[in-house]
Amino acid sequence: MNNLSEEERKKILESSPVGTWALMLIVGGGMVIAWLLMYYGVFLPRGHIG
Amino acid sequence: MHIDRLEKKWAGISLGIAGLFVVVILASALFHGIHAPSNVETIDSARLHLSQEFAEDNLGPQRNPDGSVTVRMVAGRYGFYPKILTLPSDTHITFRWVSLDVIHGVHIPMTNMSTMIVPGYVAQVKTELHHIGDYPLLCNEYCGMGHAHMWTNIKVVNKTQWEALNNNGGANHG
Repeated sequence: MNNLSEEERKKILESSPVGTWALMLIVGGGMVIAWLLMYYGVFLPRGHIG
Repeated sequence: MHIDRLEKKWAGISLGIAGLFVVVILASALFHGIHAPSNVETIDSARLHLSQEFAEDNLGPQRNPDGSVTVRMVAGRYGFYPKILTLPSDTHITFRWVSLDVIHGVHIPMTNMSTMIVPGYVAQVKTELHHIGDYPLLCNEYCGMGHAHMWTNIKVVNKTQWEALNNNGGANHG
C-alpha cells in the first residue's frame, strides 16, 4: 500500500468491493443451498410431526 | 446512527435469507398440512397407574379402527415403559407420552420424533416412521444422575409384518 499513489489509493477505496461481494454470494448462497438440502432432503422425508 | 452502506447490505442479505427460510417453512406447512404439535392435556402424574389410559396393561402400540396406531408410553427415572417397542412403518402414529416423576425429553434419532415430557401433561406427537430398522430411543432432557442410561430401543417393521405380530399379541411387549 505504501507504494501506491494517493490517487490510486483513493480509487481502490472508492471502487466496489468485488471480493466482499463474491464472499457474500458464496457464503450466503452456500448456506441457502445447504439449508434447502437439509429441509427437503432430510427433514421432510423423515415424516413431519404434528 | 451511521451505518455503513456495505454493512446495510450484509444485514439486508442476512434478513433476506432468514425471510426466505420462513417463507419456505410456511409454504411447505401449508401444502403438506403440517401443524406444530399443540395438544394441551393434563393428567395426574402421581396416579398414572390408576388412570384408565396409562394403566400398565394399556401401554404400548394399539391399532385404531382407521388403521392408524396410538402408542402410549410412560417415562420415568430412568427408563421408558414399555421397555420394548415394535412399530409399523409408513403408518400414521400418534405418540402419547407422560412422565411419572420429573421433566424428561424423548428423541428417536434419524426421525423427527422429539418432544419434551412435562409431568402433569400428556405430550402428544403425530408422525410416520418411514425407514425399517432398529432405533435408539433416548431421553434428551437431563433428569437426574441416571439420565445418561435412560434409553431403550424400538424396532420398526413393515406394516404387514406388524399386523401379523399385532394379531398374535406380540407387538405390545408390555
